[in-house]
Amino acid sequence: MSGTTLLNQIRRFRFERGEMTQEALAQACGVTRQTIIALEAGRYAPSLELAFRIARAFGVGVEDVFQWKEAE
Amino acid sequence: MKGWEIGRWGLIVLAGVALWLLLAGPGRLFGWDTGQLGMVLLVGSAWGLLYLVSRLPREALARSASPAEWKARVGAGFTLIAVIYFLSKMHVFNDAAFPHNHGASAVGRNLVLLLIAWTILSQVLASRMKGVVEADERDREIAVEAAGWGRGALIFCVIGIAVMLGFTPATRLDWATPLMIGNLLVFALMWGWLCEYVATLAYYWRDRRGMA
Repeated sequence: MSGTTLLNQIRRFRFERGEMTQEALAQACGVTRQTIIALEAGRYAPSLELAFRIARAFGVGVEDVFQWKEAE
Repeated sequence: MKGWEIGRWGLIVLAGVALWLLLAGPGRLFGWDTGQLGMVLLVGSAWGLLYLVSRLPREALARSASPAEWKARVGAGFTLIAVIYFLSKMHVFNDAAFPHNHGASAVGRNLVLLLIAWTILSQVLASRMKGVVEADERDREIAVEAAGWGRGALIFCVIGIAVMLGFTPATRLDWATPLMIGNLLVFALMWGWLCEYVATLAYYWRDRRGMA
């Protein structure tokens, strides 16, 4: 549930899309605002389907939004 | 928001007094049955909460927690009260068979009243959050993990009751009437629900704090 090896650029993309609110992104993806908060804070790894939905909401590819964090 | 804070603390104090009357207060106060008075006050505080929730802006509700977490909060509160009340009144089920046992009837009536208040509060919350996503994959993931805790608690409790009944000498099982055993099983069910709600809240709390 908490802690993930995925990095994401959700916050950056939101601001690049005219400061899109977390609520607006949540509605666009069919999730709750708390899930967007957890994703941005890196506390939750989304399912593949949700990852695609988020990427689609920004009009970019999944790998532009999510990156695998290599173990140190 | 200040009015909401004052109202919330007022309701907590009122609910505390109601619980005291319900559980530990004297049997009669100014000719009134304190058990009934406590339940009326408790349902009154639930109605007060209902009013506050209906006045709170939807954004404020959605900001503090997801709909599924709100449901778990309400469920945990009501289940906790029901479990405490049920445990504190368990002795009345030993008095007589059900149709003639007025104490047991009163306990059953109060629990049904609590259930109705819970249902109405849940409906109002749901109507306040109409149009927003009620539960997503993260909520469902938490629900599955919490259900495991609830199931575990129920199994543990039922096995505990079975072991206790099986290993206690028959001469010391006078209290174990069919009505009492039935109520112990109902308690096991309530205990399972309570553990599930508490686990749900613990998962949300852990998620918010970002603990691994």
